[in-house]
Amino acid sequence: MSAARSSARPTFKSLIWRIVFLHIVAVAVVAIFLPLVLFWLLNSEVDQLHRDAMRAQAEVLAERIVPQPDGTLTFNLPDSLKGLYSEAYGRYLYDIRDADGRVLFSSRRRSGDAAPPRLSETISGAGVSRVIEGRTVRIRVAEDLAHRDVIIDDIISNFFRRVGWITIPILLVLLATDIIIFRRAVAPLWKASEEASNIGPARTHIRLPTEQIPREIMPLVTAVNQALDRLEDGFRVQRQFTADAAHQLRTPLAILRTRIETLHDGAAREALHADIEGMSRIVTQLLEIAELDTLVLDPGEIADLRAVCTEVVGSIAPYALAQHKDIALRGTDAPVLIHGNAEMLQRAIFNLAENAIKFTAKDTSVDVEVGEDGSVRVRDCGPGIAEGERDLIFQRFWRRDRQRSDGAGLGLSIVRGVADDHAATVAVENLEGGGAEFTLRFRLAEETHSSPSPGGGG
Amino acid sequence: MRLLIVEDNAELARLVAAGLSAAGYESDIVGSAAEAREAVSSVSYAAMILDLGLPDGDGLSVLRELRRQMEPLPVLVLTARGGLQDRVSGLRSGADDYLAKPFAMEELVARLEAILRRPGQLLGRSLRLANLVYDTESRQIFVDDQPRIISARETSVLEILLRRQGRVVPKKNVEDHIFGLEGEVASNAVEVYVSRLRKQLAEHGAKVVIHTIRGVGYLMAEEK
Repeated sequence: MSAARSSARPTFKSLIWRIVFLHIVAVAVVAIFLPLVLFWLLNSEVDQLHRDAMRAQAEVLAERIVPQPDGTLTFNLPDSLKGLYSEAYGRYLYDIRDADGRVLFSSRRRSGDAAPPRLSETISGAGVSRVIEGRTVRIRVAEDLAHRDVIIDDIISNFFRRVGWITIPILLVLLATDIIIFRRAVAPLWKASEEASNIGPARTHIRLPTEQIPREIMPLVTAVNQALDRLEDGFRVQRQFTADAAHQLRTPLAILRTRIETLHDGAAREALHADIEGMSRIVTQLLEIAELDTLVLDPGEIADLRAVCTEVVGSIAPYALAQHKDIALRGTDAPVLIHGNAEMLQRAIFNLAENAIKFTAKDTSVDVEVGEDGSVRVRDCGPGIAEGERDLIFQRFWRRDRQRSDGAGLGLSIVRGVADDHAATVAVENLEGGGAEFTLRFRLAEETHSSPSPGGGG
Repeated sequence: MRLLIVEDNAELARLVAAGLSAAGYESDIVGSAAEAREAVSSVSYAAMILDLGLPDGDGLSVLRELRRQMEPLPVLVLTARGGLQDRVSGLRSGADDYLAKPFAMEELVARLEAILRRPGQLLGRSLRLANLVYDTESRQIFVDDQPRIISARETSVLEILLRRQGRVVPKKNVEDHIFGLEGEVASNAVEVYVSRLRKQLAEHGAKVVIHTIRGVGYLMAEEK
């Protein structure tokens, strides 16, 4: 039932549409009532004017009552008014009576009788009282509205047709103006919500802008910003903890590793060594993730992708050789300038290369290819990646084979993280001859940019 | 030849000292920046292994002081951090190399020796890998302690690869090392010399291998 009721009522999710709807309703009501009110006001104003005119007439007539020495009163209708009050014209009437109601003078010649001018719906008039020579005289002037002035009649009867309609466009203009005003008023809110949509775990420093926010909405914005402060604090503490924990683990790991190296049992030593190696790598990757989460990329920073790849292949080659695998750098020999942070790019490509070396078969090679278009392809000769796993592999701690103990499944999530921070894309597909190919695509820096500064300083 | 270990974790310091001792290097251990300053001023060490996280201050400040005093002591920095900022600031402050914890003892020794092998340093005179020895002053090569003859340019290639054994030497560096500022160099010149060096080393029975890392450079390692 309540559902039926609520569905019968128009609900608007948009504040603007809600206001427009209410406005239309208000405009419709006003459009109906305003002309009626105006019409009524016009009518009463016309009546008022008419009464004032009649009173002025009565006063003019009162001037013409002249007391005679014998105590009687005489009344001389001025010539200019005679026509107006003539019975032939029949439109204006006057009568002048004494205090007792006896008719002294009247526009009706035969009105010796006591009947006063009939004041009905069609006759309207006004009267004044004067005291002349101690006698109270009442002068009344009336107009027969059946013969009223045609102009005024026209104004009133044509009011709706000629003037009334103007209210509707005026109200529509008002409506449009209000919508514009309202949109302008909520514009800062739109801006604020756009800003808010940029806030994520990696970008917790953004706050809603408080300039231009209407005072009524300020408490909400302030409260949201304060909530964000607390959230950022929480994130910061958590990241700091990850970083600190990783740091703190390094020294005990170093001790453990060095101690293992003093062992004499060769086989056990090597196995323990491999374990420590894996654990150290996870700790390093945790640190990398913590750093990645706090990284604020300088939009003007430029890196040479080719130099980064050279560095990566050079530093990871001993690891590949130790496993009887090979690694090669291919593609362009020229610098490829892209927007990005060299260290972060290095980590991403290192993790891709490390992953490829892990999965490529023995005595095969991993290829790292740099493209002039700002792409890096890393190819291996491994088992490839199943269709259904292509998104999963980039998740933190995802491992295809839970039985394997090498690595925690962080490497590719770092690749994805770096790609996201650089507005780059990372794709994976299987090669026809077997193996997988990962492709990272970065944004090329414009040619006009100054040369990159690998390692800074110089 | 004495080394100085600056590390506040006594257990790690002891293990590193033991590892270095096994590799033939004697070392002193100090646990703070103040002690490190004192030790450096009173003893002439061959090199310093410096941990960045010290209880009484940053290891980097010790390093900066040394360099300001024009002290050429080779320094290998150890750190629990691994971030780029640390690495860059470490190297800018004058560290000769940088190693993140946890490290393999083998690598620590290799890096240390690489520093010591630099011209002007203690090990600078003779470079060694497996049964191959190279005397940098006489430019003489020995395999199994027998002198062997290798042509001049190939010897230059051998020297730079030996100095950085176990790590990739960019092709550009090899090229610069052989030809210096000699104008035009054929694009495949380095390949030619490396392949000749391989052949000559094999002929002399050296148990070393030169890996080509295509697109990057070369890596010399013990043959396994």
